[in-house]
Amino acid sequence: MRTKYRLGVDAGGTFTDFVLADRDGTVRLFKALSTPHDPTEAISNGLKQISEAVGETAEAIISQCDLCINGTTVGLNALIQHKGAKTGLICTKGHEDSIEIRLGHKEDGYRYDADYPPARMLVPRYLRRGVRERVVSDGSVMTPLNEQDVRDACALFLAEGVETVAISFVWSVLHQDHERRAAEIVREMMPDTLLTVGSELYPQIREYTRTSTAITNAYLGPTLKQYVGGIDDYFRDLGAKYPVRYFQSNGGLAIGQAMSDRSVYAINSGPASAPQAGLYVCSPFGHDNVITVDMGGTSFDITLTSGGNTNINKDIDFLRYRIGVPMIQVETLGAGGGSIGWIDDLGLLQVGPQSAGSDPGPACYGNGGDQPTVTDANLVLGYVNPDALLGGRMKLDREKSFTAVKEKIADPLGISVERAAHGMFTIVNNNMVNGIRRVSVERGYDPRDFVLVAAGGAGSAHITALAKEMGIDTVLVPKLASGLCAFGQIISDVKYNYMATCPLRLEGDAAYAQINDTYAEIEETGVRHLLADGFENDRILIRRRIDMRYVGQVHECSVDIENFTIDASTVDRLRDAFHARHEQLYTYSEKQTPIEVVNLESTLYGRVDRPALPRLAAGEDVSGAIKSHRPMIFSPDGSAIDGPVYDGSKLGMGAVVDGPAVIEEITTTIVIEPGWRASLHESGSYILKRND
Amino acid sequence: MSAVDPITLSVVRGVLETTQREMTLALEKTARSSVFNLAHDYSNALFNHVPEMIMQGQDIPIHLGSLIPAMKCVAGYFGDDIHPGDVILHNDPAYMGSHMIDTCMYKPVFYKDELVFWTVCKGHLTDIGGPVPAGYNPDATEIYAEGLRIPPVKIYDKGVRRYDVVNLLLTNLRARRDQEGDLNAQLGAVQVGERNLIALLDKYGLDQVRACIDELMNMADRQMRKLIATVPDGTYVGKSMVEDAGHGFGDLEITATVTVTGDSCDVKIDSPPQIPYFINSYEGNSYSGVYLGIMMFAQVPPPYNEGLYRCVTVDMGPKGTLCNAQEPAPHMNCTTTPMETLTDAVRLAFEAAAPDKVSAGWGHANGCNIAGWDTRHDEEYVSMILASIISGAGATPTQDGWHACGPECCFGALTSGDIELLEYSYPIVIHQYSLMTDSGGAGKYRGGSGTCWEVEPLDKPMDFITFGEGRHNPASGAAGAFSRMVEPKVGRIEISRGGKVETIKDNVIEVINPGERAANKNPGGGGYGDPYERSVDAVIWDVRNGLVSIEGAERDYGVIFTDPAKLVVDMAATTALRGAAVAAE
Repeated sequence: MRTKYRLGVDAGGTFTDFVLADRDGTVRLFKALSTPHDPTEAISNGLKQISEAVGETAEAIISQCDLCINGTTVGLNALIQHKGAKTGLICTKGHEDSIEIRLGHKEDGYRYDADYPPARMLVPRYLRRGVRERVVSDGSVMTPLNEQDVRDACALFLAEGVETVAISFVWSVLHQDHERRAAEIVREMMPDTLLTVGSELYPQIREYTRTSTAITNAYLGPTLKQYVGGIDDYFRDLGAKYPVRYFQSNGGLAIGQAMSDRSVYAINSGPASAPQAGLYVCSPFGHDNVITVDMGGTSFDITLTSGGNTNINKDIDFLRYRIGVPMIQVETLGAGGGSIGWIDDLGLLQVGPQSAGSDPGPACYGNGGDQPTVTDANLVLGYVNPDALLGGRMKLDREKSFTAVKEKIADPLGISVERAAHGMFTIVNNNMVNGIRRVSVERGYDPRDFVLVAAGGAGSAHITALAKEMGIDTVLVPKLASGLCAFGQIISDVKYNYMATCPLRLEGDAAYAQINDTYAEIEETGVRHLLADGFENDRILIRRRIDMRYVGQVHECSVDIENFTIDASTVDRLRDAFHARHEQLYTYSEKQTPIEVVNLESTLYGRVDRPALPRLAAGEDVSGAIKSHRPMIFSPDGSAIDGPVYDGSKLGMGAVVDGPAVIEEITTTIVIEPGWRASLHESGSYILKRND
Repeated sequence: MSAVDPITLSVVRGVLETTQREMTLALEKTARSSVFNLAHDYSNALFNHVPEMIMQGQDIPIHLGSLIPAMKCVAGYFGDDIHPGDVILHNDPAYMGSHMIDTCMYKPVFYKDELVFWTVCKGHLTDIGGPVPAGYNPDATEIYAEGLRIPPVKIYDKGVRRYDVVNLLLTNLRARRDQEGDLNAQLGAVQVGERNLIALLDKYGLDQVRACIDELMNMADRQMRKLIATVPDGTYVGKSMVEDAGHGFGDLEITATVTVTGDSCDVKIDSPPQIPYFINSYEGNSYSGVYLGIMMFAQVPPPYNEGLYRCVTVDMGPKGTLCNAQEPAPHMNCTTTPMETLTDAVRLAFEAAAPDKVSAGWGHANGCNIAGWDTRHDEEYVSMILASIISGAGATPTQDGWHACGPECCFGALTSGDIELLEYSYPIVIHQYSLMTDSGGAGKYRGGSGTCWEVEPLDKPMDFITFGEGRHNPASGAAGAFSRMVEPKVGRIEISRGGKVETIKDNVIEVINPGERAANKNPGGGGYGDPYERSVDAVIWDVRNGLVSIEGAERDYGVIFTDPAKLVVDMAATTALRGAAVAAE
């Protein structure tokens, strides 16, 4: 690290997490309630806490940061809640409906579900305007662009108050002129409107994917632009020396302009850093099979890393929208501390996906919420201390929790409040277990081969219950659990993906030269961006990937390759890598069949130094850390036992705590169910194992 | 249940599903034909040693039902002559295949010298020989005029490829390079399946895996029995009509008689004698129709395996009938026609049994195959185009039908393929791929919209061969739904040449030249409930989005606009029109 501090700010639906790393390896975590109406308010509240803790002003801290990094779920939330901007699409006439036809497919798993609704359109049909133009599969123009059609579309958009426009034409990836000219017209007629051009955002073959990606990008653009603008200004005013970095769903950092231009990369900004952090905290234990579960106020995010490799997806359906650009695979459920318990039409207890968010929040926050949430249930169950949340800065009203659970759940079902609360706990756990199964068991991974890493403020209260259900017997809860994503962000590199389409047969010097030149071209752009970002050449890393197929196939197979000059003497390395990958995936290769190249991709990293892991000192006898006993409910019948409550800040390296017990950390509460034992490791993580 | 560890059970179930999905990926990602690699017109399944289907996946319903009898038939044919390293190929309906162009590969999986599983991959090839490219020959009066029949035959014998046999097969097919690539892709799929299953056995042992699989089949069985037990005992009848698609034998009625006794049911099919036209269904294919009709009623969640049908007995009627055809009946169209009508009949019988579970019918298939010369690579091309058959789904008691999700026989499992990838594969321009105004069946909940797929060949003329029906009778509505404006809701083919548009409702072979266009217009799904009960706001939104016309709003929904440009509704006239209908009843 070049300067004294590095700051990570991860803005979640309920809390905004702050991680401040020192040059000497100290990492501190702070939390403030999120303020979705103006995110800088939460940041300002957080900085106040940090300033008190380190004894420097916010300005002094920020000006001594080498990086201020921000992860945000603002894009994700806009997509989940369909609160993006009013969007118009200009496309090739006759192809207005590709995003609604969705390849004519109904998702697997819902084939025989009569109540499963179609995906909600981000652009309604009347704002999807076809224009006369057509390029065909060899890149030649069959029908020139009809500029009047573009103007008519703009006129409609202006009349309808459209805020953001996507342009996506068939085969634009082979002939960009029509999209470029249409873009000029849109800029001329709608100068204040954000514009997404399909072939620039996602220059790869596949009209449906490209159009859908462009629409999603356009839909989120205004939200991200406003967000990033506010954050950039805020930090600049505080004296930040370097631009704020934002965390992207591809697992790397980017500057603000990139986030508003390519907002589709922001969709899963926050949660995508979990695998990075999970691997880092597991490294002292030698584990590289890691499932991270991040439970915050509104959502529950799961990632899986096997053998150190985290899955990257591209051309997938995300929240039912086809997204082409690469993203870290994150499974997200509507299950968090703020998830609301309710009774359905059949009289069955359900939890989520609706959330009380941070405003009004759970009933116990006393902000006017009267719906029983998971946090309220946990309070009733004795898992959460009403006086100790956020180190006592936030008081919870147990009476309000009790009343909400009683009125909305217990009384209608005719059961005790304690049973109702335990029922909510069980049901939300069950929802989460099903989610974990989707990323593990359903993909052929046995969860018992993995370590479960808890993240998010609410996760630690559920973690042993989840592990028990999954048959997992090793759980890791870092003291930083509730800010794990923010931590993952400050140990991440800047990362940009550059793509190009390069359809040719892998034969002859001209072809080799074209591949070589195309890589050189996109990488030159990438290096230029990173140099402008302040990275020296020796901090820039390039990773190449190439999509190839046998002639006659239409789907490509991605192969990672080294950086070398591609010519007649080296091209066999590409061929061999492709045959080998094809064989690995599909059991066979066709060594006699010619190969063709489709897409090239270079990922450029600006390497960032990582802060060291903390080292805890050995502590006193653990009995000295017991601060109280309170009734805790672990039984479905609602009966309570008197369990010890430990003050986590008084536990040192090597401390051992047997369940049933609760360990209260400043920002999270670890519930240790009966039959589990927690030991605190010097790296600052509790390792929990089953001892029954 | 007590013997099975619940976590292991979940893992085994997950591995079976993953295996099936990975077989699917292996096939889709490596195949040459767009039918495989874009359209998902294939199915993979796993069988145990018996062989019973232990994992049916979520693939095409028309394939999966018939695989159950076909696998048994193929295994029975070879009896004890099944060895490690064998791979068997088969397509013949006389051995329980569906239609000949769906070619199926079976790989026995051995573990410690014991036959333990079969991995099976069935897919729609782009050609199967015979006089008409792509196999659909509306002029065939016998099965012998429809292509190459493949009874169960080994293409690998104890691990050795039988080049002579494979060569015999490929020599009979058009576009040999693609067919060979697709056979390799199928081989990859069954090998991926084998690889995963053996890893599963290595980890958990045969006994534990078998116990889990037995439990999964029992779960499916219990689920179906529990549901059927809720239906009152009795006999229920459903009837549906196959349209005359130009063959001259008139409309043909299929009757399904369902008798429910306790937690089991018997399905009896009655159909007219087979005809010398390609819409006869052999027994294996008819199983698919019956099972899909049951699933449209049951709508149970996974696991899907043969356990689902343990409580079902089926009688397809006498040999020599439309739904239980025998040689020499031609049959190539059978997976859509009469299969969808057979499905409708079974579904309607179950509707009579359990009216509260009723959903509307889906649009039937009305598709095309294309063939011609690709000057870009100087080679012939031939394929079914699945993008040409995407119809609307039926409305349900809770919502509008999905747009562009049918046809009924595929039930949302198809993918139509990205148009750029289709144009990359064939020398064509797809001028239109869109939803169609007024195509969804009218109802309180509207049927989903059908699609229009319009194509023009580049450089050379193209054969355009149509199949299916659904061009006269709209998809059946439910709970009192019906459409007054019928014409936009049924399928048709429109050929544009020389400034004129010709509408065709029969199965034909046309030659389309560059500069001319052919469009498949596919039916919408049926509606649910009285269309006059549809909210006026919903009708306005549909009109605004071009899904319903001003005329359709008035005729189908009784909603009258005073200012069509601004979409202002004349509420008084609307209320009067809707009220008059109520008074008239």
